[in-house]
Amino acid sequence: MTGMKVLAVDDVAPALDELRRLLLESPGVDAVATAGDALTALRLLQADTFDVVFLDVSMPAMDGMELAALVARMTDPPVIVFVTAFEEHAAAAYDVGALDYLLKPVGAERLAASLDRVRRFAGRGDVTGRAPAVDALAAVPVELGGRTRFVRRDDVRYAEAQGDYVRLHTPSGAHLVRIPISRLEEHWRPVGFVRVHRSYLLAVPAVRELRSDIAGGLLAHTDVGDVPVSRRHGRELRELLLEAATRGAFDGGRR
Amino acid sequence: MVARWPGTARARPVPDAMAVLAVGRGVAADLRGGLDGPGAGAAARGLRRLLGADAVGLFGLDGDPVWAGVPADAAGPLVAQVLRTDSRAGGGGLVAIPVHARLELAGVLVVAGDVATSGAREAASWVGEALERARLESSSDVAEQAELRALRAEISPHFVYNSLTVIASFVRSDPERARDLMLDFAQYTRHNLARHGDYTTVAGEFAAIEAYLALARAVLGDRLRVQVRIAPEILPVALPYLALQPLVENAVRHGVELAGTIGTVLVAGQAEGSECVITVEDDGPGMDPAYAAAVLAGKGNPGSLGLVNVDRRMRTVFGPAYGLVVETATGAGTKVVLRLPRFQPGVVAQ
Repeated sequence: MTGMKVLAVDDVAPALDELRRLLLESPGVDAVATAGDALTALRLLQADTFDVVFLDVSMPAMDGMELAALVARMTDPPVIVFVTAFEEHAAAAYDVGALDYLLKPVGAERLAASLDRVRRFAGRGDVTGRAPAVDALAAVPVELGGRTRFVRRDDVRYAEAQGDYVRLHTPSGAHLVRIPISRLEEHWRPVGFVRVHRSYLLAVPAVRELRSDIAGGLLAHTDVGDVPVSRRHGRELRELLLEAATRGAFDGGRR
Repeated sequence: MVARWPGTARARPVPDAMAVLAVGRGVAADLRGGLDGPGAGAAARGLRRLLGADAVGLFGLDGDPVWAGVPADAAGPLVAQVLRTDSRAGGGGLVAIPVHARLELAGVLVVAGDVATSGAREAASWVGEALERARLESSSDVAEQAELRALRAEISPHFVYNSLTVIASFVRSDPERARDLMLDFAQYTRHNLARHGDYTTVAGEFAAIEAYLALARAVLGDRLRVQVRIAPEILPVALPYLALQPLVENAVRHGVELAGTIGTVLVAGQAEGSECVITVEDDGPGMDPAYAAAVLAGKGNPGSLGLVNVDRRMRTVFGPAYGLVVETATGAGTKVVLRLPRFQPGVVAQ
């Protein structure tokens, strides 16, 4: 995917400037257009195509929700991300088909996570090609003393990047495999793994405790070791843990 | 009971006391929704039976009248007269009596048939009392909700100014840090000013605690050492807004800030069977256990209100067994333990 074309809409000028600045600083964003009201936004949307629209919810005349409902009726509509000061709007935002919502004031890390989400959504192509056809890499071959053995994905608590290799940490030990961590992430992301750090891919159900240390850094504790969580990924991990816990993933048969 | 004039003492079966009380209680229950509520018809039927009347009509201040028996056409003008004069009116075999709830006119009771006026008057005051009780019940529900909300800890102005001061100092020297702290401040105030619903999740409460701790670390610098440990299975547990954060603020303020030394605050949460146990611990000066008991009883200094509020709200929401437990001694730090059921009917985060 080439760089994204983004439209940002907000009636508060300083907030719009700040969002524009943050977007322009984000990797993978090519161009940012801005609109100070819904009508201007509609004109821009008709004249040009955008990959994603960051939309303020409360605006005079026509608010973000109404504008989103109109956008959703376009052919090949852009992805919608709401920007709002109130958490109450979150549920309604998803109802009108928004991919994500950001709370004001917007932080760089949260924005980056949101843009990742937009990219993953767009990279998936059309909605029909959603899940990978084959459950790729459910077991990974590892070389051990000249013999090939397989490490089951379900046994892996986390993977640690080491150059072109990753080290898979399991209760039976750590195994070195030649695969870039980003490739492994692509395969394992749909089955409950999440990138929590430049060098770490973590199995969400393997987390026993979330620890923040004295300096304010975050660690995910598993039964085979602690995994550092970068500030940028903290919120996403928390959300995934909450989601998994709500499903009951940590009750009973834990890893 | 129904008094009778000698002249009207005809052979009508006098209902026995038990039956009268049962009907009376039924009427009171039926009137819980008011004179135009869903139970008004049943209440009218009960009153008709009690009075031995041909028909009984209940007229609220607005809405349609409710009748037991054949509605009397002549009732309209009588009711209008009662509403105007606020006193009894009669004629054409009907008697209309004002119904008062809390000394205010609340409606009119119309009785048709051979019924003693004193009996009808008793019935009208019974109806008035039932309405009063219904109003008190619903307002006490409202009051309880309001009290729970009022007990929510308020943002400490002291903390707000300290935070803003430290952010202002970073604006020039470290703009990135200033921005991050500003976002933490937004997160903190968003949670503390949340007005949608009464309950959040442990995850929501911990997010606010992390924001608070980031600011407290900026204010206190190396003096504050914090460790937070939380088991993911308790993240979805519902609890009242600001049940945890005041405990952490308390530990930072009394254990580290006011103590004037380097201090460590430990926050830990895990599941224990069907309960969730959260502890907040500091290694500060601690206090005399007798003083801690006085604080929980609401007799401490006003600065320790946070603890009392959490204690009272937890008991109100989860029951008397779920108050705070404080372990402390002079010079031995303070540990506050909060237990809550992992699932409680009616306690749902919005």
